[in-house]
Formats: sequence, structure tokens, C-alpha cells
Amino acid sequence: MRRQLPLVMTFIAGIIPVIALFSPHPIVVNIAARADRWLVIVYAFALLLGVVSVVQSNSRKIARRDKGWPYAVVLLTGLTVMGGFGFLGNFGIFGGITTTPDGRPTPFQWSYSNVFLPLQATMFSLLAFYMASASFRAFRARNLAAGLLMVSALFVMFGRIPTGEAVPFVPMITEWIMDNPNAAAQRGIIIGAALGAASMSLRVILGIERSHLGLGRGE
Amino acid sequence: MHLVDRLLATDRRIIYLLVGLGALIPLLIPIGLPVTVTPPVRSAFEKIESLPAGSVVVISFDYGPSTAPENDPQAGAVMRHCFARGIRVVGMALYPLGGLSVAVEEINKVAAEFPVTYGVDYVNLGYKDGAQAAMRRMNEDLHELFPRDASGRPIGELLLMQEVRSLKDTDLVFSFATGIIGEWWINLVNAQFGTPVAVGSTAVGTPKYYAYLKAGQAVGLLGGLKGASEYERLLSDHYPDVARIYESPLLYTATQGMDIQTIVHLVIIALVLAGNILYFTSRIMRRSSPGGRRA
Repeated sequence: MRRQLPLVMTFIAGIIPVIALFSPHPIVVNIAARADRWLVIVYAFALLLGVVSVVQSNSRKIARRDKGWPYAVVLLTGLTVMGGFGFLGNFGIFGGITTTPDGRPTPFQWSYSNVFLPLQATMFSLLAFYMASASFRAFRARNLAAGLLMVSALFVMFGRIPTGEAVPFVPMITEWIMDNPNAAAQRGIIIGAALGAASMSLRVILGIERSHLGLGRGE
Repeated sequence: MHLVDRLLATDRRIIYLLVGLGALIPLLIPIGLPVTVTPPVRSAFEKIESLPAGSVVVISFDYGPSTAPENDPQAGAVMRHCFARGIRVVGMALYPLGGLSVAVEEINKVAAEFPVTYGVDYVNLGYKDGAQAAMRRMNEDLHELFPRDASGRPIGELLLMQEVRSLKDTDLVFSFATGIIGEWWINLVNAQFGTPVAVGSTAVGTPKYYAYLKAGQAVGLLGGLKGASEYERLLSDHYPDVARIYESPLLYTATQGMDIQTIVHLVIIALVLAGNILYFTSRIMRRSSPGGRRA
């Protein structure tokens, strides 16, 4: 039962959207709509599960004084403060979640704008420094493929800035690279990934792939 | 150690300094370089130009603060275009990390620049989880999925939402996406339900959308800060009132950001070229030195 019930549920949940895509029958459409509603609710529980998991793993880290435990304290403090502002704001405390009725930012929105946003932007901006250093050290035209990649990258980088656009033929070459070799390669990747996802989904729906059920060996 | 090898082993802090100065100097001394409009951006612009006043555009804020410097000016430009043309906007967010807050900040900022009324000309439905399942439900019943707007008001009370029951009542979806959500809009909402979709993506995510653009599944594409700056230029050229908004020194625009991007791109191009020249020079010197081939 522990094995069969999840497999049956997986099959039903997986097959409904597939049938609904091809059948306009009202019964099928209604069942698919209900499944979608449930899915939205399940997603919300997945978020909750994520929060529980973060709290558990970081609490353990702090209790054991594992390496980097002060960061876990910062993380949990941030989670509690922002989560608390958001949760209480939902009940009208602090004047709401984002803005108060008179238009002022709530503590949640203030913390978001003045703490979270600059921190995230800083983290992302650091990439430019690492990319510049890596491009100097590792981006080498060691063979024909690497050379082609480098020339394409340089054209696209140069063609995507006003100085490059002012140079004859550079914008044209840049758009050609994006429209043709890039789009062709992207299509291949997208189609390949879609076929892979479809075959994996079929394996899950048909119960061939069972690792997601978390069953032990021989179950 | 030979000079070439010494240069190849340049301290990474010097490279960081070059990039830092490349970002800082144009910030302090703006250059104001003009941008050229590319076909994907023009296509998005013309799609909105083709919509009559009173049309409804869904603007989905599917990004977080990490990519806000790229996505914010895109979303701002498209919303300004809509308001300038009398097109109504339904804002929402499907990205959990900051989706709600990003949408609130951007919508409030842009709406304050135009004589528009909340609930009549624009609404903010807030964040909804569920991604693809949520998109499928939107095509059937927006009211069921978003019973209340971002401020907790029942959306049935909002005049605009009394007309807009589902995505079928909208004319275009514009997703500003940091990851895969833009692709979901195209794959689900355009491919299955036929609603036109345009995407504003981060520069790093832009290449993949060219496949959808070429296939006609996306009606336009704003790629990174460059795409936003092109849209700002189109807006400024066509709408003098919007041009005046962009002239405000208090407003961060993509056009200003392009100065920084230009210098940093040039620094990186120079670094790639310098790295390769030094690498091949070093190889040639090793080969030509006695016993070099064996080494």
C-alpha cells in the first residue's frame, strides 16, 4: 500500500493535464481545473516546507556550533524579521504588507527596499568583477571551437554597446549571430530539454521512475 | 620571470580596480552615449503601439532584487508606454523572491507620473505561487486565482477587474523575467491559449528567447539594460511627455546605465584580448627558446 498508493496518485495527477490538453470534454476540463487549483495549494505548502527545512538545518548548525554558524544566526534572524513583518502585515498590523493606507511604506517594504534590495544587487554586481578576472585568465582561443566562441562573444559584447553600434557592420554581425547560430543552438537545447522532460515525466507517470517517492531499496 | 609571464599573472585586484573604475567614472561623469534600436525591441514597441486605448496589458514582475537594475527600467518603460497610450495595466508577480515588493515599488512609482487611477487604469494583483498551474488557471478565472489585490482589497470591487475575468480579456502579456518564468508564459499562455506574449529578460537570459522570437511565439524582446535603453529611446522619440520624465535627474534610467555597461564591456573586451595576446606570445616564446618544444 505504501508503494502502490503514491504510484496511483502520481499516475492520476500526471495523466489529467495530458488528457485535458487534447480533450475539450466538460468532465475532463472540470477535473483538470480542480487539479490545477490543488496544485496551486500544494505549491504554497512546498514554500512552507522550504521554510521548515531552512529553520531545521540552520538551527542544527547553530546548536552544534558548526563552521559558519554565525551566518545561520543572521539567516534565521532575517527570516524571522521579514517573515514576521509580512505575516503580521497580512492581519493589518503595521498597516499592511507593503504600503500603509496613507501610502507610507510598511516595515516589510522598508526593510525590503533598504536592506534586501541593496544586498541582493551587491551580490549580483560582484559577478562583473569575477567575470572580468576569469575572462582575462581563462577565456583562451586554444582551439577552433574556443576561437569561434571567443570571436562571437567579442562581437556580441561590442555590438551591444553604443560604441560598437557606431562601427559599420558590427550591429549587423551581432544581430546575425543572435538570430542564426544562437537561435539554432537554443532551439536544439530547448527541444532536447523538452524531449528529456517528456520522457522523464512519462517514466514518473508510468511508475518506472520511483526515486521521487523516497522509497528504500526493495520497496 | 619574463615580462609576458608577469603580465599573465597580474594580480586580480588590479583587474577588480579596472572594472570598479569603469563602473564608477561614468556614474560620476555621465557620457550620454546614444543607443540604436534593434528589431526585437522595436517589435515589442510596435505591438503596444498597435493596441487601441482601453486595451489591457498584463505586466508580470517575474524577477527579484538581484536583477532589478536590469528589469526595473524595462518594466518602467513598458508601463509608461501603456499609460501614455491609455492602455490599462494588470500587474502581478509569479516570482517569490521579491516579486510582490518589486511590483509595488515599480507600479507606484510609474503610476505617480501619470493621471491614472488605481482600480480603473491599473491594478496590482500581487504575488501568486503555483507558476504553470497558476498560468493555466488565469486563462479560466483570474478572480478565483487572485481573490484580493496586493493591498488585500477584493478584486471584484475594482472597476478594471470587473471587465477582466481571465487572460482571454487581455490583449498582451509582458513578462519581466529573471529565469524560466518568461519561457512558461510563452510555452503555456501563448502556445496553448494564444495570448500574445513579450518578454523583458536579463542580458544573460536573452539568447534563449531568440528561439521563441524567431518562431513567432514571442512578439517582442527586451534584452537586459540595453533593451530597456532602446525602449526608452523609442518612447522619448514618440512621446514628448515621457521624454520629459526621463530627463529628470532623480530617475535612474537604462540610458544612464548604458554608459557604465559600455565602459565595463570595453574593459572586459580589452582583458580578453590582452589575455589571449599574452598567452600566445608566451607560447611562441617558450617554443622558440632552447629546449622549448620539449617543455
